[in-house]
Amino acid sequence: MRLEDITVTLRPRQPWESVDLGCAMVRRDYGGIMALWACTVLPLWALVCVLLRSAPEWIPLAVWWLKPLYDRVPLFFLSRAAFGVRPTFMETWKQWPRLWIKNCLPALLWRRLSFIRSFALPPQMLEGLRGAAVHQRIKTLAMDGGGSGVSTTFAFSNLEMAAWIGLMWGTYGMLPESAQPDWAGFGQSFDFETTIPNGFFWWGAACHMVVVTLVEPFYVGAGFALYLNCRTRIEGWDVELAFRRLATRLTSTVAALILALLMICGAQSSVQALEPPGSAKDARTAIKNLEGYLNNLPKNSHAQPAEKADPAKAVQKVLKEPEFEIHKIQTRRWVWDEKKDKDKKGSRSGGSGAGVLDFFGLIGEVLLWGLVIGVVIWLIVYLWNNRHLFISRGVSRAPVRAPRVLMGMNITPESLPDDIVTAARAAWAAGDFKEALSLLYRGSLSWLVNRRRVPITDSDTEEDCLLQVVQAGEKREADYFRQLTGAWVQVAYAVMPVSNEEMGALCDQWPFVEKGGAA
Amino acid sequence: MAAARADTLQSVELADGVEIQLRVAGPAVRSMAYMIDLLIRIGIDFAVGMAVFMLLPPLIGAEMAGGLMMLFAFFMEWFYNVFFEAGAKGATPGQRSMKLRVMSVTGGPVSLAQAVMRNFMRVADFMPGLYLTGIVCMLFTKRFQRLGDLVAHTVVTYAEVPPVLTPQVEIRAERRAPAQVLTREEQAALLQFIERAPLWADERRIELAALAQPLTGVVGVEGLRRLCGMALWLQDPEEKSGTPPPLKGARLFHT
Repeated sequence: MRLEDITVTLRPRQPWESVDLGCAMVRRDYGGIMALWACTVLPLWALVCVLLRSAPEWIPLAVWWLKPLYDRVPLFFLSRAAFGVRPTFMETWKQWPRLWIKNCLPALLWRRLSFIRSFALPPQMLEGLRGAAVHQRIKTLAMDGGGSGVSTTFAFSNLEMAAWIGLMWGTYGMLPESAQPDWAGFGQSFDFETTIPNGFFWWGAACHMVVVTLVEPFYVGAGFALYLNCRTRIEGWDVELAFRRLATRLTSTVAALILALLMICGAQSSVQALEPPGSAKDARTAIKNLEGYLNNLPKNSHAQPAEKADPAKAVQKVLKEPEFEIHKIQTRRWVWDEKKDKDKKGSRSGGSGAGVLDFFGLIGEVLLWGLVIGVVIWLIVYLWNNRHLFISRGVSRAPVRAPRVLMGMNITPESLPDDIVTAARAAWAAGDFKEALSLLYRGSLSWLVNRRRVPITDSDTEEDCLLQVVQAGEKREADYFRQLTGAWVQVAYAVMPVSNEEMGALCDQWPFVEKGGAA
Repeated sequence: MAAARADTLQSVELADGVEIQLRVAGPAVRSMAYMIDLLIRIGIDFAVGMAVFMLLPPLIGAEMAGGLMMLFAFFMEWFYNVFFEAGAKGATPGQRSMKLRVMSVTGGPVSLAQAVMRNFMRVADFMPGLYLTGIVCMLFTKRFQRLGDLVAHTVVTYAEVPPVLTPQVEIRAERRAPAQVLTREEQAALLQFIERAPLWADERRIELAALAQPLTGVVGVEGLRRLCGMALWLQDPEEKSGTPPPLKGARLFHT
């Protein structure tokens, strides 16, 4: 089985994502898996039904207990399909007895309740290991993927349970009257033998089988994908694949052939387990000779014989490296030494300076309390002064800093006369119409920006300013400002004079004045 | 065969010819998220029910309180998911705890209409009981969509790619330009190699480096050294200082 032929996109995934990959793999080959399922599992179920025909309430349990057997054929099919060789029906059929017998006792007895059943199945079935070695291997792999194996089992058993109850719920109405249990009688006596008819149990068992058929292949696929992901992570299969493609691209065909031999050798350790019996047999015999050389090559190249010979020493050495240094945080808690204190007090009360000491103690206490009260008061005052930092009023509408220059005009209060209206009237009388309106306009903007905090920014145009003022909501000011803006635009840009009456009205209606502090 | 590689990334071509890839999430993880949401909903219903039946009956009567409670339960049942999925995070608390979110098939956030649609279709997905239709539908659609998702054009995806933290290992290799022009995939493979190499055994590193022998020219430790040098060059072609920089992510571990 060659990694180049893989029909799954390998990439280090998150555990749940690799579960999804398993579902996608199963979905792709669902037809083939179902055909195999029908030929291998259904006869077994028929046998179970015949054996338990007098006690149908136990059928779902038996079907559930035998689950490890069903998993094997789909896994065989999936693992071959993942590496590009979909086995034919006959091939799988021939493998079937071997698949079911291999490791079947532990799987059906003491490993039946394992929480990582589907995750542990590929190492058991696909890597040619036996006995304790399998257990060790599963433990090693579970360090990386065991937790996700458990949660996968949990998720899929939930799905199965939900689907089973759902199916029974949905088809309950179609049951004949004679098969429907007498729930009231059951509730009174809890005697299911008389109140629940056998038909109900048969129907429940049938629903269970349908649901197991639906969900179990996906569970197997999820475990297999978790296993693939595990090995992709710890052995870098995706990198290997990319390097192989790189090599084939770079070398000519002859060189590629030699290289392929080398590679098959090199990958022997990693994909050996997935090698199907009988495939590429002649190639393997040719490789066998090279194998010893290649397997020795990397080890010799950095061999440290003494350490290799004594793993305990190597472990000691590794543990001494700075990465394994154990850091400790030591904390010390100060505990009042009551005994000593008592001794002191005893000696003190006997001494002549006790009264003086008590007096000093009182002063100290007063000072301490004064300090605490002072700090609290200071804190309150400080917080009160900075309360604007803590009270947010939604999205602040006012700009952080009022603009100083708008549309090329200086609008700071300092640059304007104190009585703007008088100044404007004077300019008007002097015949400088533009200056007069400019004074009014600048004055109003200055007021709006600095007093009303209208959110005008220095890039706004006349129209933007007007919009902001209207949105600010003061109707009288907005109306006035609209009128003023019209007049100002007319004079400044269109160079069309404004009538005396209009100017007079603008000056008279000037709303931007302090009204007894009610601004 | 190569075209039909099974993958969890699903590409979607948008109207303007851009192809995006969605990291769609399957039934297993979604069922976990649903369970968490269910527990949260039951908890809230229970708490509110306790409060309502303890406090309100003296004021408005037991029947009225019962009615209010039923109204509340109704809104929880129908609008809990809508509220969270149409919100800024696009995910219910359960989905957030499993690092999932709901997206439009176009990769954008779901609109309110989509959220309403996909959650009101739960009735159909629930049929004939306990989401049987939804489960089957999710298992057999390419993007793991249930009926509600299909109708509302939404998918559930993984929210973010978690950062991969690799241990700090200083690589004593001389930075060198690759001997051949490399495609993007090959460059990515080289970078993956140098990022994940600290997780592998020495034998495996040398074995992998030997595969790239047409690029490096030698096998064994020297090949590994050259390969690492090329990967370092790809990480940072401009040599800024005499010493090679530590691996990516190493600064996180620097003390």
